[in-house]
Amino acid sequence: MSLIYADNNATTAVAPEVLEAMTPFFQTEYFNPSSMYEPARRTAQAITRARAQVAAHFRLADPKQILFTSCATESNNAAIVGTARANVSRRHIITTAVEHPAVLEVCKEMQRDGRDVTFLGVDGDGNLSIEEFVRAIRPDTGLVSIIHANNETGVLFPIPQLARITKETDPSIVFHTDATQSVGKIPLDLENEYRDVDLLSFSGHKLHAPKGIGVLYVKRGTACRPLLIGGHQEEGRRAGTENTAYIVGLAKAMELAAAHYEDETTRIRELRDRLESVLLERIPEIRVNGRAAPRLPNTSNVSCHYVEGEALLYQLNELGICASSGSACTSGSLEPSHVLRAMHVPFTAAHGSVRFSFSRYNTRAEVDRVIDVFPQIVANLRRLSPYWDQTRDRPRES
Amino acid sequence: MAWEYSEKTKQLFMDAVHGKPGTHLGEIETPDGMGEHGSIACGDSMRFTFRVERHPTDATKDVIVAARYLTFGCTSAIAASEALCTLIEQGRYTPIDALKIQNTDIVEFLEGLPSQKIHCSVMGAEALEAAVFNWAQKRGVDLARLGIDMHADEKDEGRIVCQCFSITEPYLRRKIRELNLRTIPEITDAIKAGGACMSCHQVPGGLQDLLDEIWGRSPTKVLGLTQITMPDPDAAGPGKPALSPYQFSKKVEQTLDNYVRPMLRQDGGDLEIIDIKDSLVYCRLTGSCQGCAGAAHTLRMLVEQKLKEMVDEKVRVIQV
Repeated sequence: MSLIYADNNATTAVAPEVLEAMTPFFQTEYFNPSSMYEPARRTAQAITRARAQVAAHFRLADPKQILFTSCATESNNAAIVGTARANVSRRHIITTAVEHPAVLEVCKEMQRDGRDVTFLGVDGDGNLSIEEFVRAIRPDTGLVSIIHANNETGVLFPIPQLARITKETDPSIVFHTDATQSVGKIPLDLENEYRDVDLLSFSGHKLHAPKGIGVLYVKRGTACRPLLIGGHQEEGRRAGTENTAYIVGLAKAMELAAAHYEDETTRIRELRDRLESVLLERIPEIRVNGRAAPRLPNTSNVSCHYVEGEALLYQLNELGICASSGSACTSGSLEPSHVLRAMHVPFTAAHGSVRFSFSRYNTRAEVDRVIDVFPQIVANLRRLSPYWDQTRDRPRES
Repeated sequence: MAWEYSEKTKQLFMDAVHGKPGTHLGEIETPDGMGEHGSIACGDSMRFTFRVERHPTDATKDVIVAARYLTFGCTSAIAASEALCTLIEQGRYTPIDALKIQNTDIVEFLEGLPSQKIHCSVMGAEALEAAVFNWAQKRGVDLARLGIDMHADEKDEGRIVCQCFSITEPYLRRKIRELNLRTIPEITDAIKAGGACMSCHQVPGGLQDLLDEIWGRSPTKVLGLTQITMPDPDAAGPGKPALSPYQFSKKVEQTLDNYVRPMLRQDGGDLEIIDIKDSLVYCRLTGSCQGCAGAAHTLRMLVEQKLKEMVDEKVRVIQV
C-alpha cells in the first residue's frame, strides 16, 4: 500500500532538486561564511546568491531586506517582540483570533507584559470585518499582525488592503503578516501589491525545503529590534552562524515554487475542488469550512457532523492516507480548533473536522482514492454514533 | 502527536467500525438499564444499554447478559466502549457487582491508554454507573438501602468549577478522591476539567484549591496564567482637533450630505462612513460606485477636497 500524503500544510517532502542543491554544503563547502580564507568566501557568496534569489521571488530590489531565521515561529516571535521593543510607547497590538499559535500566543504574552491586544474575530465563512479592523486602530497602535492564509482552512485575508489602510492611517504602525502558508502557493509582490507590508514571516518546510529554515522580511526602515543577539550575522539583526545548506535549499525551493504557481492554481485547485464537490454530494451532513471565502488552492477543511475527527483520521491512517484534524483529541488541548470556533462552526461539526492539503506531488489517482474511501469511513463512525439515526441515515431527532 | 495506542485498542476500534460479529455497537431496545455520559460539545459521549436475565424473586440477583453502546468520540473512546461491554458480558455480573468495574479495569483490558486519553475510560465507567442507577429505578431496587451512593444529583447540582466542560465541585471532589488525582494535569487527563480555557486552574475555589484542600497540602502559589481579556476595540482615545470629536463628525456628515452624496447619487452610488479618528475619515463607496476603478480617485478628489474645504484642512480620507 503506497502512502497518500495529503497533509502538506503541516509539512512537505523535500524536493529532490533542493536536496541536491544542499548536499555540497555539508561536506565540501562547509566553511563558516564569516571566516577569512578563500573557501569561506565561496560559502558567503552562496548565501548572497540565495538571498538575492529569495528577494527576487518577491520582486524585491534590495536583498538585504531578507533575514534568514530557523523557522517561521522564530520569524513571528522576532517580528512581534522586536517591534514591541523598538517602540515602547506604542502599547497596542492588533491581531486576529485565528492566527497560528506562533503569533497568537506571543501576542498573549505581550498582554501579560502589560500591552493591549485586540483580537479581531471572523464571520462564519472565516472572513475578517474590515470595519472592525478600522475601528480597532488607535493612536497608540504600534503593530498589526495578521495571518495571510489560514493554516487550517486556507482562508486568505486581504493583506494588501489591510496594510494600505494601516499605513495610510499612520505610517509608523508596523504591519506584519504571517505568510507561512501562502508563500510558495501564491505569488506575492512586495514592491507592488504587497508594498505596504513591513514584516513578513514564512518557513521553508511548507514549500519543499527542509525543516529548520525560515525567513523574516524586514522592509528597509522598519523599527524592529533583534531577537537573537550575539553576532554580526545578518548585519546584526539575527545573530548565529548562517545555516548555509538550508539557506541554499530554501532559495532552490522558492525557484521551484515560482515555476509551479500555475500548477498550483489550476491542477491542484481542480483536485481540491473535485474532492470537495464529490464529498459534498456523497456524504450527508458535511460542510466545507471557509468555502465561501477566498482560499488557498490546495486546502480543504471538511466537517462531518456527529462524528469525531480523530477517529476519522485513524481510519484514514489505516488505509495509508495522511491528513489532519481540528478535533479536540488531536490538538493536545481538549478544545476543538480555535479557528473553527472563531468561525462559529457548531460543536457538532467542529469535532469532526478533517483537513486535506495537497502539493504538486499529489496526483489525481490519490485524490480519487480519498474520494473512494472517505464516505465509508464517515458512515462507519455514524453507525456507532448516538447522535445518528441509522435507519434514516440522518441526525437523530431530539 | 502521533498515536500511542496499544495493539488491543487499535484492534477493538477497527473491529467496531467494521461491525465485526461479536462487537457490541448498537442499542438494546427496551433495555433494563440505560446510561449516558459526555456531550457533543465536549467531544465525546456514550449511550450504554444492557439487558438482564431477571431473577424471579430478587431483583438484586439479576444478571447482565447483553451490553451495547453508541459512542461519539475518538479511537480510544470507541475502544473503551467495546472494552466495557466485553468485560461486563464476560463476567456475568449482577448490575450491583458491575459497579465494581472501574476505569482502571478498562485501561487494563485495553492494555494501557495514553495519559491524555484516560478520560475515555472514565466515560465508560460513568455511563455504566448511570445505567445501573436506571436499572435500579426500573426494578425498584433501593440502592441507598444497600449502602450504594449513586451521586445521581451531583452533576446537575453544585457550583460549576470548570465552565468549559460544566464540571461541578461535588463531582470533582469525588473524582479527585476516587481516582487519586494529585495534580491538575491528572485531573484533566481523567475527567477533562481544566483542559480548555484553563482559567479554573488557579482561581480561588479552582482546581488547585480543591487539590490542596483534599490532599492537605499547604497552598503553594504557582504563578498562574492570568485570564486574557479581549479589550474593547472602541476604547481609543480621541486626539484634539480644533473641533470636538463630536462637532467634527457632525460637520463631516453634514458636508457629505449636502455636497458629496447628492453628486454620487446622480450616478446611483453612495458613500458609507466606517469610522472617524482625529482627522482621518474612513469611507467606503457603495451602490454603483462600489468596485469602480475610479473609486480611489473619486474619494480623494471629490470627498477629501470637499471636506478639507468645509471642515478642516487636515482631513484625510482613507478608502476602506
